[in-house]
Amino acid sequence: MLLLFSTSDLIHCSAAPLINNFTLFCLIAFCPNNNEVHIYRLLEEKWERIHILQKHDQIVSGIDWSVRSNRIVTVSHDRNSYVWNQEAAEWVPTLVILRLNRAALCVRWSPRENKFAVGSGAKTVCICYYEQENNWWVSKLIRKRHDSSVTSVAWHPNNILLATTSTDGKCRVFSTFIKGVDTRDSGTGPGSDSKFGEQIVQLDLSFCWAFGVKWSPSGSTLAYVGHNSMIYFVDEVGPSPSAQNVAFRDLPLRDVLFVSERMVIGVGFDCNPMVFAADERGLWSFIRFLGQRKTSSSSVKYGSQFSEAFGKLYGQSKHGISNDTVEPSRPCGGIHENCINCIVPLKKTGDSRMTSFSTSGLDGKVVIWDLENQEDLLEYL
Amino acid sequence: MAGHEEADNAEAIITRIEHKSRKIESLLKQYKPVEALKTALEGSPPKTRDERCKSANWIVVHRAIMAIKDVDGMFSSLDPEYYDILMKYLYRGLSTGDRPTCDQCLRIHEKLTERAGLGCILRSLADTVNTV
Repeated sequence: MLLLFSTSDLIHCSAAPLINNFTLFCLIAFCPNNNEVHIYRLLEEKWERIHILQKHDQIVSGIDWSVRSNRIVTVSHDRNSYVWNQEAAEWVPTLVILRLNRAALCVRWSPRENKFAVGSGAKTVCICYYEQENNWWVSKLIRKRHDSSVTSVAWHPNNILLATTSTDGKCRVFSTFIKGVDTRDSGTGPGSDSKFGEQIVQLDLSFCWAFGVKWSPSGSTLAYVGHNSMIYFVDEVGPSPSAQNVAFRDLPLRDVLFVSERMVIGVGFDCNPMVFAADERGLWSFIRFLGQRKTSSSSVKYGSQFSEAFGKLYGQSKHGISNDTVEPSRPCGGIHENCINCIVPLKKTGDSRMTSFSTSGLDGKVVIWDLENQEDLLEYL
Repeated sequence: MAGHEEADNAEAIITRIEHKSRKIESLLKQYKPVEALKTALEGSPPKTRDERCKSANWIVVHRAIMAIKDVDGMFSSLDPEYYDILMKYLYRGLSTGDRPTCDQCLRIHEKLTERAGLGCILRSLADTVNTV
């Protein structure tokens, strides 16, 4: 079910691991709460640091690793961005001037990996694309649309629409059509014929900070969370969207991930991923916590489950560690001991279903979760 | 013009609250404190910016909250849809600093948190637009 990776000083983390099922070849990139990005590789059951990307002057606030083109983009509080290309054994940075006057906060590659979007504290979103003739990444800004910092960005699978959340409580959807980069036929649905920076819709569902937005794999549903312990699901994003507000009884979420069209994992201040799912009628509800909150009587059972997963992945040698993670005295009852602020899908080669993902939190841990042996959830995959 | 409409609207809300107040008094006379509380919480005017309306409704809700004797019994017949708005009024009660009011609000707060969780507290505190 999960595997644990922990460093003492990792506080902020963005991970983009790539897993190849056959060789168990796993790479992970994260920022240990400073101006560096560390890349680790899993080799023979051991995590080994293979690269340190060092170019930013201040804390790195966002990392995204494009899978097909194998490029890493990083953004930082120093208001700049770097695109890292692997040449031979080295990662070579290219500076991208974002033209911001406040910190960059988050970054995401577009599905086709020819653009990336940066959210910032300057109430703007940058859409960056590569200009062949100048050998240069250009940043185009969407200005005067947000009333506060942009906390998260998410790309629609059509490579054109971009959803943003902001601390003004709104979730907005923009067109990012760029002449010469995108073609008109590359998108269908709402906004496919709109200009760059045009706002498709603004969702006023939350009255406080909004975080963590994602599109479902098909792009038909949008989910985002508010700091008021609510999660919002929006269908038919366009002129007349239909929304569902789901309130839950625990602490607010920070980020979400669609595992399938019908299942969403939310992570946040409760230190334990929450599972939300839609029933046959499309009504979303909270299902359960992923790492069950346990009572002392059930800890033995979960301990054995953890060991089982460990055994499967890494041989039985890790038993001791796995049992350490299920001490009943832990305050939050889960693997993470502090707010989880990041959730990233794990891309397994040759598997169309997404069954595993990694989370990282303020406790300095990166945890990989596997849904394969969560039998009650398989119907939603 | 917009200000004038707002004032008209406020008058209408006040009239409604007065009507509600009479209904609550009669419910309390019939020993139906939970019904009274539901009536008080229904149609609360969070969306208006008019402080007079908010205060008028608070007086009504306060009357109903103070009449609750059996807190566990109240929750067995109070539907979850009232939890969020009740939590907002509990915090308004706590902010008055009045001893008996705070005692009563804390007593209800404890039970409400047990039922509705920390999310309910977050929803009442994080929402700075729809205040009561």
